[in-house]
Amino acid sequence: MTLDATLSGHLQELRRGTVVVASLTVLREPGYGYSLLETLSGAGFEVEANTLYPLLRRLEAQGLLTSEWNTDEARPRKFYRTTEQGDAIASSLRSEWTRLDKAINDLDPTTGSM
Amino acid sequence: MTSLVDRYVYTALRRVPEAQRADIDRELRASIEDAVDARVEAGEAREAAVEATLTELGDPDKLADSYANRSGYLIGPELYTSWRRLTVMLLSTVLPVVVAVLVVVQVVDGKSFGTIVGTAVSTTLTVGVHMVFWTTLIYAIVERTGAVKDKLRVKWSVKDLPKYEPDRMPIARLAGGLVWPALLIAALILQQFTLSGVPVLDPANWSFWWPYFIVVLVLQGAYQVWLWRLGTWNRTVTVVNAVLQLASAVPLVWLLATDQFFNPEFHNFAGLGAESDVKHWLSLLIIGITVVGTAYDIFEVARRGERVRRGEPIKITGTGGSYNYGG
Repeated sequence: MTLDATLSGHLQELRRGTVVVASLTVLREPGYGYSLLETLSGAGFEVEANTLYPLLRRLEAQGLLTSEWNTDEARPRKFYRTTEQGDAIASSLRSEWTRLDKAINDLDPTTGSM
Repeated sequence: MTSLVDRYVYTALRRVPEAQRADIDRELRASIEDAVDARVEAGEAREAAVEATLTELGDPDKLADSYANRSGYLIGPELYTSWRRLTVMLLSTVLPVVVAVLVVVQVVDGKSFGTIVGTAVSTTLTVGVHMVFWTTLIYAIVERTGAVKDKLRVKWSVKDLPKYEPDRMPIARLAGGLVWPALLIAALILQQFTLSGVPVLDPANWSFWWPYFIVVLVLQGAYQVWLWRLGTWNRTVTVVNAVLQLASAVPLVWLLATDQFFNPEFHNFAGLGAESDVKHWLSLLIIGITVVGTAYDIFEVARRGERVRRGEPIKITGTGGSYNYGG
């Protein structure tokens, strides 16, 4: 395996799960599939449509998102919104993220002293 | 003509649970159209935009799996260990027993040597394939339905660690050491007293050699029990083992070499070539296996005994590490 392939494998491992936190955070304001995809890639999350769309339905099935069809416009769209439970989970996940970030910085002597 | 988008959506929906289809249909189309519109706005031609969008979404079957929350594997890592253990056990333990039983039944039936070999080979293949197939099918179903998954998952504890000292030899391995002599004795007696057909081995030897072999085999069984209870390797073990091994090997080789082993009246080596040739090569083969096997066994037991006496560690096969049997 080349170094690039090794790195991309590890990056994928590391990024797994971040899309959930990001989606639950962004969808505190209602949004539909494609808009969320745009927002996330604009914010620097490398997420594929074919992962995101099924993920939204899974999060809905878990009760972390609710959805509603908006038929006011010419193109009917399914809008998702983070539920109270989803928000609570997202905030737990975010504080875990912060904790991990701090822990890793503490381990790295070049940044640990800051 | 159906459009590319239609074909894509239909293909994906085919493999999605029915209850979700209408909803996913609407949502997926809206998402695709949104993406296409965005590309068109950015200056792409509509047709190219559709193609690019669908290519990005990827294999519709995979997308459907993802929607339906299906795994892209037959047996997942949770169940794989349990599946492997069961498969290995079936193939290494149950399969030989099944084949052995069938062979014995055929011997009792007085079938020809060629038929028996044929049955053994074909049974090994058919039964082996069946065992692997049905085990895998059941595990795949469990993987998908989730039923009884908890029970099949391997629960490991330190108690499951194998013990390597001979005195801690599990009773199952002792049983294994006893089954071999017992099978040989049974085969020896059965081949004589089959209802039909001619005995394979020379009946003249019942005056001395066949009873002698039965006694030696019984002693070899007793040796296994004795070794199991003794729980160590030493010079006595080496000597007893060597005596017992030679007691069966030397007469066996002698009988084969002087053409007193097979029954002269037995002519069912048919199908494998000229009878004298088959007998000849079969004799050589058995002599070869007996000499090499016996020499290796005597040497190995002697080496273990010597190492324990000197307090040297004994290598455990397959680990590369060492273990002190004596200590």
